[in-house]
Amino acid sequence: MTVPRDLTSPGGRLVELGGLVIRYGAIAAVQGVDLAIDAGEAVAIVGPNGAGKTSLLSAIAGIVRPSAGSIRIAGRPLAGIALSDVVREGVALVPEGRNIFGSLTVMENLRLGATPRRDASVSADIDRVFADFPILGERRDQPAGQLSGGEQQMLAIARAMLSRPRLLMLDEPSLGLAPNIVDKVYDILRQIRSQGVSLLLVEQNAARAFALADRACVMSRGVFTLAGTPAEIERHDAFDAAYFGVAMAKAGAA
Amino acid sequence: MATLPAVSTNESAGRRWLPLVALIIVVLALAGAAEFAPIVMQRRITQGLINLVAVVGLYVFVGNSGVLSFGNVAFMAIGAYVSALLTMPAAAKGVFLPDLPAFLAAAEWPVLGGALAGGASAALVALVAGFPLMRLSGISASIATFAILVVTYVVLGNWTSVTGGQNSLMGLPIYVGLWTSAGWAVAAIVIAFLHQESRSGLLLRASREDEVAAVASGVHMVLHRLMAFVVSAFLSGISGVLLAHFLGTVRVETFYLDLTFLIMAMLVIGGMRSLTGAVAGAIVITALTELMRQAEVGVTIGTTTLAAPGGLGDVLLALLMLLIILFRPDGIAGGREISWPFRSSVAAPEIQSRKPQ
Repeated sequence: MTVPRDLTSPGGRLVELGGLVIRYGAIAAVQGVDLAIDAGEAVAIVGPNGAGKTSLLSAIAGIVRPSAGSIRIAGRPLAGIALSDVVREGVALVPEGRNIFGSLTVMENLRLGATPRRDASVSADIDRVFADFPILGERRDQPAGQLSGGEQQMLAIARAMLSRPRLLMLDEPSLGLAPNIVDKVYDILRQIRSQGVSLLLVEQNAARAFALADRACVMSRGVFTLAGTPAEIERHDAFDAAYFGVAMAKAGAA
Repeated sequence: MATLPAVSTNESAGRRWLPLVALIIVVLALAGAAEFAPIVMQRRITQGLINLVAVVGLYVFVGNSGVLSFGNVAFMAIGAYVSALLTMPAAAKGVFLPDLPAFLAAAEWPVLGGALAGGASAALVALVAGFPLMRLSGISASIATFAILVVTYVVLGNWTSVTGGQNSLMGLPIYVGLWTSAGWAVAAIVIAFLHQESRSGLLLRASREDEVAAVASGVHMVLHRLMAFVVSAFLSGISGVLLAHFLGTVRVETFYLDLTFLIMAMLVIGGMRSLTGAVAGAIVITALTELMRQAEVGVTIGTTTLAAPGGLGDVLLALLMLLIILFRPDGIAGGREISWPFRSSVAAPEIQSRKPQ
């Protein structure tokens, strides 16, 4: 097991977690995590089920309140901000299972994404979404629940982007999707990143996430066990162990 | 509230108003047909249209928020009493309510002013009561609205100097007929539709679907719930006004559990997730109740009278509600708005042909 490297980097810092602890009753899902994400950076968090990845994202999105530690968005503490205002700080989450509003139409889902905005260019942005995803345009008046899994994922990402976030967080964006759809999803994420939006990605599919990310963290049992560039992590002996939870895999080979 | 985000395409812009136009046509056609019906039937239809206003009022809150309200009949009562006190002839008030405060005792408002004041009073009570209550969610919110009903019932039944307590108020101007009720029914449908299509209505429906996801998207749920509750109370208040000035009397007993159950059954059976459902429920249940009433009166052949046992209507209503909840939980309308038949048949195969992924 490796001691996590200091991830903080100077200047343009968007998100800063300090000693983050999240407890659900007696269970501690996250047990002291430090993380900093700079503007325009893509960070991947990988790890086995139950490592605390989703809890971490939920905390940054304001859905779960941390038991200890601090979260700062662009230097501002998140603690005093109501959940409905977190999105106004520029943080958007595409949760696992996508959480689209199934009985509302595609159009209504997109309008909802723009809830925090008061500017006049919402319609133009929605038209751009339809240009990028023609299938969403064709189904604009259909209940979103009737879309296929891949279409729902596109809608969920488009909806989150309509809030014009500085940080887009995605929880398992490839889960349950066919490989060609996953390709498409990651193409979109690459595009979003090129617009200067920071990404925080939680993935089971480490290969996909590593191909996109500038930095990666391996999470296990509520802590980061490894951190570095994706290439560094893939080379690391402890990676497979932490990821699959089988310590002997590489130990046997050594 | 901010302006409605413009719908970006011409295609959906036109189709958006379709349910509203269709529902207005249905109401006007119903009233138009009633014009040629016997007077008794005309009165039944008038009563049905008053119920329609009440159901649409209930729908504005329940349908969009997904929170059941047992309190709307209290708003009906408030509307009825406020309008009664403002419009009754001063002489009549002197007889029934000798202890009335002077400004109320002298008031002889025009009926429209009385109606609007009735609706506004109900809305104001909803605003004050809703401010704390809208923070509750799920079943606790519903129970809290039931408390509004009980408190209102007890207050109205005991505030003898103003409401006459358990006694009826009589001598109200009877001005509500077929076309007054039809006019208000149309107005209620328009108000409910505009609210539903507004930004506030949309955000509220999102919170109905998934509270956490909606709030995380930036929806101030409590605010939008409160707004719907106030609009809902206004319409319920108006329906109470209409009922009072249709009957010419107000009694506190009118506005309690029986009426709550009837209005709620109409909404559930019609389908609480669309305005079409609210309208359909009011019409279908009014028609059924009327049929049952006639069955209970029975037909006389010679010297024998064949009649259904008393109370059959209520039993059937309860049974129907049970069947709907079991087999068609979205009600007659199935959560959809009315649309031209050929439009929906175009949309249907498109869904079928979706590529599996």
